[in-house]
Amino acid sequence: MDTRIEQNSAELIVAIVNFGSGSKLTRAAKRHGIRGATVTLGRGTADSHLLEFFGLSDIRKEVVFMAAGKETALQALDALSREFEFHKPNHGIAFTTSLCGVVGTKSIPCKSLSGEREDEESMYHIITTIVEKGRAEDVIEAATKAGSKGGTIINARGSGIHETSKLFSMEIEPEKEIVLILSEAHATEAIVASIRGALKLDEAGNGIVYVQSANKTYGIYK
Amino acid sequence: MNVIVPKLKEVLFSVLPITAIVILLHFTLTPLETPQFVRFLIGAALIILGLTIFLIGVDIGITPIGNRMGSTIVKSNKIWVVVVAGLLLGFFISAAEPDLHILAEQVDAVSAGLITKTSIVLVVSLGIAVMLSLGMLRIVYDFPLYITLTILYGLILLLSFFTSKEFMAVAFDASGATTGALTVPFILALAIGVSRLKKNSKSSEKDSFGLVAIASTGAIVAVMAMSILSKTSKIAGALEQGRTDPSSILDPFVQTLPLITGEVALSLAPVLVLFLAFQFLWFKLSGAAVRKVLFGILFALIGLVLFLLGVNAGFMEVGVTVGYQLASRESHGYLILVAFALGMVTILAEPAVHVLTQQIEEVTSGYVRRIAVMATLAIAVAAAVALSIVRILVPEIQLWHYLLPGYLIAIGMSYFVPKLFVGIAFDSGGVASGPMTATFILAFTQGAAEAIDTADVLVDGFGVIAMVAMAPLIALQALGLIFRLKSKKGGVAGRGYAD
Repeated sequence: MDTRIEQNSAELIVAIVNFGSGSKLTRAAKRHGIRGATVTLGRGTADSHLLEFFGLSDIRKEVVFMAAGKETALQALDALSREFEFHKPNHGIAFTTSLCGVVGTKSIPCKSLSGEREDEESMYHIITTIVEKGRAEDVIEAATKAGSKGGTIINARGSGIHETSKLFSMEIEPEKEIVLILSEAHATEAIVASIRGALKLDEAGNGIVYVQSANKTYGIYK
Repeated sequence: MNVIVPKLKEVLFSVLPITAIVILLHFTLTPLETPQFVRFLIGAALIILGLTIFLIGVDIGITPIGNRMGSTIVKSNKIWVVVVAGLLLGFFISAAEPDLHILAEQVDAVSAGLITKTSIVLVVSLGIAVMLSLGMLRIVYDFPLYITLTILYGLILLLSFFTSKEFMAVAFDASGATTGALTVPFILALAIGVSRLKKNSKSSEKDSFGLVAIASTGAIVAVMAMSILSKTSKIAGALEQGRTDPSSILDPFVQTLPLITGEVALSLAPVLVLFLAFQFLWFKLSGAAVRKVLFGILFALIGLVLFLLGVNAGFMEVGVTVGYQLASRESHGYLILVAFALGMVTILAEPAVHVLTQQIEEVTSGYVRRIAVMATLAIAVAAAVALSIVRILVPEIQLWHYLLPGYLIAIGMSYFVPKLFVGIAFDSGGVASGPMTATFILAFTQGAAEAIDTADVLVDGFGVIAMVAMAPLIALQALGLIFRLKSKKGGVAGRGYAD
């Protein structure tokens, strides 16, 4: 048996890289002991007013999700960050967040997170917003106003319990957009409040926001 | 880094091969006159610049419009809205396609006015409109694509028994002509807009493709029907080929510019008008979003003008010269070899190919990589051009000797190939026969046909487009089979596309 199964807590690595690098990153990650990865397409926004004016602010990105035991994850991410030079601007970013249990080819049980976690107060938060298709730009705009540096948009589809409907003979699910925003811990509250206000999230059916803490981040520059 | 650099890089890699091959030919087999060579280089630069701007414009303008229209139309949940919208969109977009007007003028000229230009444009646009409507209905009612295509191509086969040889070529060319650089991205986006609403993600994925294919059969059926009804069987006369004064370097560019600008503006007009109409009635987008789309349309306009300017004023003449010189040589080995090479590199610079491959990547979340589709297309088109040259060299081989078995194989394959690839393959047939092929490759084969006594410039010229449109159907479906085998071997439950 793999000795690494001893690692009792799990980490989810999320890496956001330029389009086309996702598969490369996955291959490299496997060399460093990560067992699998899921890649999805997203788009990021550039921080330039000139480009934005011309409507040229969208950049195609790939978002890679990888779950692994904590030790493996941190070592692998460290190696990946060196290999892909996340510290340079525009080379992508990566962060990890704690998982409570993984079930799959290799099960990682959930260990009580209380106690040992609290001393490492995290510097960054991951703010995930899920809204109706077409409103992601509003989310990013609201977040930027409150001090965020940008975000990544992933196209998605999904619905609440009562939303599936039928058009002709096709079953329809509303289109959604998922916005990932990495924020410094002290700015999180302001950003969430700004998004919440701008998108009227308190009314039913307008979307949801959740915040996770990032344990380790690479490639964020100020 | 930003949006422009990766696009420019992508375009550079796809335009440099064709430039390199022509430069190589210039220094070895077919030396060009200096002004012509300089024009070619200017043309290549214009194509790189134009294609980059055009693709960005499609990304932020044309595709979002098509996507939104598709979704909006279907969300009405009324069948008459889908039918009427399909008819209107199909009619106006194809009626504004410059390539169709050029084709109609040629037919008008060679049929000695029996078939007027207006009637061809109207009939073909009507054919496309009906098929676009049908194609959208097919998606919303989940009617399988391969059965739709079997019925449509069965109809074409039936009609072809009553159609004269010349009109056959015109009919297949009409389908290539109407699926131009602007129409294809728009129709693709429309289909994706409709099918991405679907809950079942597999059917959402596979139904994203196939609408271009169905729409383009409309043109074939319409021209064939017109030939039968008007009882015109004879096409007489020859194509006039406008030749420019070869001594001046810049004149051809200056002369072509206003003409092309007018054509491109005309073909963008319906997209713009429809967008504004939809915006006021249904979309109600924010000011920033509208500005983005309008800039997209503007970029598409500028980009396409530069691109077509480069192709028409820089590349076309070189195509004729290279074809003529190679065909005049004693042995025809080089001619076939160069035809293969040119076919392979020309398709890479075809605008709609970039749009299609990007859409494929987006719809399949990167599972079907651009490079795989590009490489397959390149080999297919290379084979198609080489086979067309063989046909010109050997008078015994008729166009239908290629087309009939080709389409039979393509339709046959559609019954057991992963369904996603059926849609991709049949769409890429229309995509491959875009402005780059229609000018450069056509010019090359016409140049070759001129130098060979037994060849007929008109018939042989038309045929090559039909071949380029057919070859990808087989090649990309074969790619689909390979994908299926590979995902089985991996043992991953993965993504078997078979249903």
